[in-house]
Amino acid sequence: MKHLKINPIVLIIINIIAPSMYIFISGRYLMFFLLSFSTVLMLLMGRYKGTLIMLSVFFAMLGIHYITLYAEVFESLGLFFIVLVQCVPCIALAVTLVKNYNSAQLLSALESMRIPRVLVVAVTITVKYIPTFKREFGYIKESMRLRGIEFTWKKPFRSFKYFIVPQLFRCSALAEEVTAAGLVKGINVPKKRTSFFEERFHWYDGLILCLFVTGLVGGFVWKQF
Amino acid sequence: METVLDEDIVLKAEGLSFQYQDSSEGISGLYFSVRKGEIILLTGNSGCGKTTLLKCLNGLIPEITEGKISGNLSIDGKNYTSMKMHTLNEHIGSVFQNPRSQFFTDNTTAELVFPMENYGFDKGTMEQRLEELKKEFHIGNLMDRNLFSLSSGERQMIALASSVTMHQKLLLFDEPSANLDYGNAIRLGNIIKKMRDNGYTIIVADHRFYYLNGMIDRVLFMDKGKLTVFDSEESFKSGNYDTRSFDLFSIDIPFEVKVLRNEEIAVMENVSYKSILHDINLNLYKGEVTVIVGNNGVGKTTLAKLFCRSVKPDKGLVKTKDLPFFVMQDPDYQLFGTSVENELALVKDNEERINEYIDFLELKPYRHKHPFDLSGGQKQRLQIAMAMLCDRPLIIFDEPTSGLDVYSMKKVSERIKKLKVSSGVLVISHDYEFIRHVANRVVYLKDGTVEKDFILDSGTLSVLNQIFISMQEEIINEKTED
Repeated sequence: MKHLKINPIVLIIINIIAPSMYIFISGRYLMFFLLSFSTVLMLLMGRYKGTLIMLSVFFAMLGIHYITLYAEVFESLGLFFIVLVQCVPCIALAVTLVKNYNSAQLLSALESMRIPRVLVVAVTITVKYIPTFKREFGYIKESMRLRGIEFTWKKPFRSFKYFIVPQLFRCSALAEEVTAAGLVKGINVPKKRTSFFEERFHWYDGLILCLFVTGLVGGFVWKQF
Repeated sequence: METVLDEDIVLKAEGLSFQYQDSSEGISGLYFSVRKGEIILLTGNSGCGKTTLLKCLNGLIPEITEGKISGNLSIDGKNYTSMKMHTLNEHIGSVFQNPRSQFFTDNTTAELVFPMENYGFDKGTMEQRLEELKKEFHIGNLMDRNLFSLSSGERQMIALASSVTMHQKLLLFDEPSANLDYGNAIRLGNIIKKMRDNGYTIIVADHRFYYLNGMIDRVLFMDKGKLTVFDSEESFKSGNYDTRSFDLFSIDIPFEVKVLRNEEIAVMENVSYKSILHDINLNLYKGEVTVIVGNNGVGKTTLAKLFCRSVKPDKGLVKTKDLPFFVMQDPDYQLFGTSVENELALVKDNEERINEYIDFLELKPYRHKHPFDLSGGQKQRLQIAMAMLCDRPLIIFDEPTSGLDVYSMKKVSERIKKLKVSSGVLVISHDYEFIRHVANRVVYLKDGTVEKDFILDSGTLSVLNQIFISMQEEIINEKTED
């Protein structure tokens, strides 16, 4: 089966709108609507493993939340988990966005939404460097093990410092390198940027957005009753 | 005397100076010109001003580096001051040292079209140029791949292609050999020569230049911010400067004294790991510097990780007396202290020994500095001090001399030799000169197995040389098979 190639703008719009809707719509309705919606989208895009992970995390956290309802001492922990559960579908869609589209595609999608270039470049670099940060955290963790500097919850602040300080210095070096790479390749050309990857807005992109909006409207109606 | 026509000159510097705002380093009073179709070697010891000059040439100075620039720079007769950086970079392509600095995106196709998108090209033109680049650099099979999944040689090709996307004819290379194995460095030399034949003008800034032997037109030699121009490769070779060698196999260095193997510190017995390493048998001894050689991707780092218990073997046994101390290529991941002294105290809180090693490694003026405020060379010295202090039986170094000039390389060799008094040392290296300075023993990894394991002396030198020649042939044949 051919996987659906959804325009990245659709996923960006959904990810911007969805979290803020918790203010207006019943949390319970929105949570399950977003879960179903994300599941369908991810399956259509062929992200089967990602869908499975999302569902497992979602229901595991929800389970923990329900268990804590029976013990008063864990009530605050339960509330913490229900807040996290509500974020899971959005996080899964954000991961899909990062994994399925390269940074040039994201750059083009964001630019076509008329977001200022400075912001677009900042967001693209952040997204691009998530895997780099992950890799570098791995190196630091390994280096701590070999140095005999263990991460310990007994001294959380000191342990955290060992993790974060090298990463902060790396960030500053990376920032300089990425700026140089962008500048020598014309990132600051005062012209309208074109896109090699610009994707057409297909009928199904429109349909997905319509279904999303319909679902949200359904939430308002649900809240009335 | 050769007549230089003005129209032959693509780049000209007249009294070029730059002084950094926050340090005393810089370049001063540089006069030189670069003619069309030349290969120029820009060299000199660490901190001599090579990178500063390159940054002036590609416009990063003064665009993002603060300081005072004076004098004139012109390209094709046009003064730099009359051009914006993006106009300048339509003429000049830059190839940086590592992929992090080189690439803005994470995908090969995206990276190649990225400059064209910025300059507003239409899709048809981009597709046409992409086809041209694929043919010119033989990178058709590398399209739409994640840049970090490529081998170092493949990444180098994408870096090269992406630097000439805008039809730039003047190329600047910043230490291109630093992350390449011997075979890939020689291949890069051949590509540079071919590019020159195709009309490109090339400036290569590097400490190591054996891969450019016989193809350099002129040498710009920098020393403490001042420039000396050599009008030919021969005149540079006949100068009195102690530099890295042009002809690696002709260097004459005494061999290390044979070690009595009376204390075994680490063992691998029939070790296999995934499809990377098969049936490795290796015994390491105190007092011996063992150098692992082999082309990129052959499993050298995996072998070190097995000793460090970072990965577990699928088969076989790895035995070490204690966890080894691993000196990473990039020191930034290894520094956790708040000062040089504190960093060493985290290893072992022994004031007397800390002071001794601080003195030995010339770190005294920086003892209260934050480790991240040190220069690259100072950080490496700090790592060596940590290795000396840790009293671990095995010390592992990953490419300790990539990007080092001859003086620094010799000093690192001396320090590593000092380490072997109390430990065994395992070094991963592509650096032939360094290997000749430091190795007692050489282990050659090929196709995931130990192809050769021998004590380096006058009788086995030819074996080492043959290994380097075969590593080069392996890379060249690989390319032909593509």
